Parts: sequence; structure tokens; C-alpha cells
Amino acid sequence: MTLLKIENLKVYYPVRGGFFRRVIDHVKAVDDISFELQPGETYGLVGESGCGKTTTGRTIIGLNRPTAGKITFNDVELTKITRRDFYKYRKDIQMIFQDPYSSLNPRKRVIDIIAEPIRNFERLSPKEERMKIMEVLEKVGLSPESIYKYPHEFSGGQRQRIGIARALTLNPKLIIADEPVSALDVSVQAQVLNFMKDIQKEFNLTYLFISHDLGIIRHMCDRIGIMYRGRLVEEGTKEEIFENPQHIYTKRLLSSIPQMNPEERLKHMAFRKEVNQEFKNNYDKYFDAEGKIFDLKPISETHSVALP
Amino acid sequence: MATPAVNNNNTEIEKVKSPSGFKIIVREFIKDKVALISLILFLGIVLYVYIYSMGLDTKEVTRVDIFNQFQEPGPVHWLGTDYGGRDVYNQLILGARNSLTIGIAITLITSIIGIALGLLAGYYGGWVDNVVMRTVDFVLVLPALMIIIVYVSIVPEFDVRKFIFIMSLFYWTSKCRLIRSKALAEREHEYVAASKTLGTPDWKIMLFQVLPNLSSIIIVNMTLNLAGNIGIETSLTYLGFGLPESVPSLGTLISYSRNPEVMENKPWVWLPAAILILVLMLCINFIGNALKRAADARQRLG
Repeated sequence: MTLLKIENLKVYYPVRGGFFRRVIDHVKAVDDISFELQPGETYGLVGESGCGKTTTGRTIIGLNRPTAGKITFNDVELTKITRRDFYKYRKDIQMIFQDPYSSLNPRKRVIDIIAEPIRNFERLSPKEERMKIMEVLEKVGLSPESIYKYPHEFSGGQRQRIGIARALTLNPKLIIADEPVSALDVSVQAQVLNFMKDIQKEFNLTYLFISHDLGIIRHMCDRIGIMYRGRLVEEGTKEEIFENPQHIYTKRLLSSIPQMNPEERLKHMAFRKEVNQEFKNNYDKYFDAEGKIFDLKPISETHSVALP
Repeated sequence: MATPAVNNNNTEIEKVKSPSGFKIIVREFIKDKVALISLILFLGIVLYVYIYSMGLDTKEVTRVDIFNQFQEPGPVHWLGTDYGGRDVYNQLILGARNSLTIGIAITLITSIIGIALGLLAGYYGGWVDNVVMRTVDFVLVLPALMIIIVYVSIVPEFDVRKFIFIMSLFYWTSKCRLIRSKALAEREHEYVAASKTLGTPDWKIMLFQVLPNLSSIIIVNMTLNLAGNIGIETSLTYLGFGLPESVPSLGTLISYSRNPEVMENKPWVWLPAAILILVLMLCINFIGNALKRAADARQRLG
């Protein structure tokens, strides 16, 4: 059974200009992408900045309006229902935000921040609410005594955990993690990521993991979609993408991962040059006349590539 | 905290509680002695004026008594009398009460209108923003002072309430613009998006998420506006377009000094009112500045 199904999703932003501020063009932030999420898996959405991965995530959760396309969650079409009905599904889809500094209201104490979803969806007495919050805080590895502190008294990693705790309180089915660790330093990144993996097992969560860091994607994800200029260029399991990349953009992305082994540095550099050469020589093979990416074509059961 | 003790370390948790906004303000005032003295002085004056004026009858105080004209300060009339033989001290108390009432009322009314409209415009943006801002622009291009003067001259029995009404009609615009610009910046923060994904309705986000983040600027702006609004009242009355003589205000007392004879030889008529205004303005400004510093962690003294 599919948990989340995205079909031909398009998000265009109008560019206004000229006389009367008419719409003269569109920025195609997300241009016709489709993918599916199975329950319990982690799907990674990778791409350079500005390729539309965050827009995709925010559209699924309802922060942006899709221009066209279908988003189906648990056999319910989220794009068709009204905002009032969407409220019911809010509980099941939650988001972890990129910036732990601006995603927590600086004027609110931790207890109020984490209690916000509970107050919206559940009727609990203040005592029960406090118990639940302390429980969640303990789960994310923060001391329950900190419920009366303000966000600025925590480090970046701790704040991100508060953000995760807030997303977890409603026991969602799907969590959209929008670069959850890109604002944290590397030692804290591992902590948060491993913690996310732990709770995934515990709560049987499905992640849509948005990132530009291929190392993290490799660590976290089961299946990966590579995005470029608002479109998917390649989609497959982790092994297929990392061992057998087909599209030139995927190859370029992968060749940009720095090598740890200093002895193979020159070899890696040669490989990078080779990939770059292929990109220049065979540009037409991968992009059509307008520089647009082709539609995805399956080359195996799980692996599909945008080739003509 | 309203909840009863849940477990034993409850008291410990209480101790780790970080200072709230109010405590920061208190600390700032304790650290800044000038502001503290100003606050005490201001509250003292306000309380004294309001309590004392309860025992005064405006009609009695403003009754003309020609034989008592221009009495010098003495045991009967503490601050002497004006050209109508009216007691200056009693007029000063009533005047201060009226001026303060006008200042506070205008500040509150304009703040409520400005905050409500500014928040709506800033939070929703788009056509809501357009409608509100064009209305603001329209009010701004009206010659406010001229309309107020015309209104004052044609309305019979001009009193405090009508004055507050006409002033509030024009002075909410700058506050609306200020709040809107701050709300515009605030709604771009991720916590607003986060609140939306958590299912919080828009009005709750506006009132309980965005507004607390604007509270410091609102408090500061309101305090400083209070001084300004008292000033506007007194200057309009001084020019003769404010309250009539039957409704004493600080402005009416000062406007007696338009007569050169009073100005030069009878300072007891206008000097107390002038000094009171000076003291009030200074107090409010010191308080406002302390609040301003409390709102900004980098400027804080305490």
C-alpha cells in the first residue's frame, strides 16, 4: 500500500512585470514530478539549492499551493479537499524545519512550543499535557526540567530536537524533514540523524528526507530521487543511485563528494574531469533543445532515469 | 503556574524557570535609577491628579469671579487665580486630568485600531494588505490639522470625548504602518509556517505567535506616543483650536500666556502647567527609553 503518492505535481510562481503588473512569465519551481512513498521507508529528495526540493515538501504539507497535480495521502486526495477537511490530515503529516533558530518562537517557553499541536488536536488537562510533554522531551534526549526554558537557552542541536519533539507529539505517519541537520555542526548532525533513525523504528514513521548532502542521504535513505531544475532526473534505490548512476547530473553530483583517501585523490580528480567532459560532450543526450530535462523512463523495476 | 504539584522535583523545575519579559522590564527599571524615579513620579502624579479631581466639580472650578482677578499665590489660592478669578491650582489638577485622559485614550484607541489593521495587513499580505494600506494612504493625504480645526469650530459643546474621537480618527495610521511592517518581517519566520503545519488557525497565530514578538515595539511605541499625544492636545488648545475654557486642560492654562501682561508679570497662571507638562514628558520619555532598552538584549543594563 502506498502512503503518499505525488502525481505530476507542478508549482509555478508568476513573474509579474510591465504595465499593470501582468503575469509575463512563470518560475517553474516544481515542474511535473511524480513519486511514491511506501509506509516505513525513507525517501530522499536530493538536489542543488533552488532545484525545488523544499517547495515540494512545503506543497505536500500545504504551505504552498500546487499549480497542478495530485497529492494522494492514504487514498485521500489532499489537493482536492478544502482547508477545513485538510485539518484532519494535519495530524498525520508533520514537518521538521531546516532552521532550528527561526522555527521556534523566541517568545514561547518549550512547554508552550511542544504543547501547541496538543492544544489544537487533543483536549488534555494541564497536568496530563505536562506529563506528555515531559515524556516526549525525554524521548528526544532533553531533560524534562527544561520545559520552562526559552529556545535561546539551547544549542542548535537541542533546538532541533525540540523541533522534532514538536513534530512527534501527534504521532504522525509521515514526517517531512526539510534539511533537518544542515544548520547543525557535523558532530551534532550524526546525533540528530541517528536519533531520527531510532524513532523511525519505534513509531514506524515514513520520512520524506530533503537534503543536498549526499553523505547524509546515503546514511538515511532507502530510495532516492535526484532533482534538478524542478524535475526529477533519476530515481532508484540507494544502491542503484550510488553504484550505478545513469544520468549525467547524478554522476556530477556523486563525483562532487570529496574522497577521504588521500592516495586516490588524483584518481578522483581525473574521474571528475572525465564526468565534466562527458557533460560537455553529451549535453544534448541528456537535455532537450530548450535545456529541459526529459521525462523519467524506467530502466529496471525500481530504477528510472530521465533519458530520451 | 496553575497546575498542582505533579512530582517531587516540581519545586526544582520552578527554580530553573527563566525570566519572562515582565521580569526583564522590572530588572531594567531597578538598574536604571532615573527611569525608576520617573516611573514613581509619573504614577504619583497620575494617581494624585485622578484622586484629587474626583472631589472637584468642573463647573464650580470654572465659575468666573471678577473680584478675585489675578490674585497672587497665597493661603487661599495656592497658585493664585487667573483673569476670571478662577483658582489655578484646581484648574491645574482638572487640566492635568483632562490632558492625561485625552493622551491615554488616544494612545489606546489608535493602538487598538493600528495593531488590528496592521497585523491583518502584515500577516495576510496580498489584497488585504492593499486595501488597508490604501486606506492608510487616503487618511494620510487628508489635511488632518485643518479638518480637526474645522471640526472644533463647527461642533457645538466641544468636550473631551469629541476631542478624543476626532484625534483618534487621524492618528492611527502611523501605528498601523509600523505594525504592518514588523508583521511582514515576522511572518516570514519559520515558526509561523511551523504553527500552520501544526494546525493552529490563522487568528491564533496572529494573536499568540506573531503579536508577542511585536509586544516590545508596541509597548515602546505606546509610551512614546503618549507623550506625543499629550503634546498635541496642549499645543492645539494653546493655539485656540482645542478644548474651550470651560473644560480646563494644561493647554488652556498655558494659552493664557498669549496675553503679554500675563506672560511677563503673572507667571503663576501658566508656569505650573508648563512645568507639569515638562515633568510629565520627561518622565514618560525616560520610562519609554528604559522599556526600549529592556526590549533589546544588546542595550539592556539589568
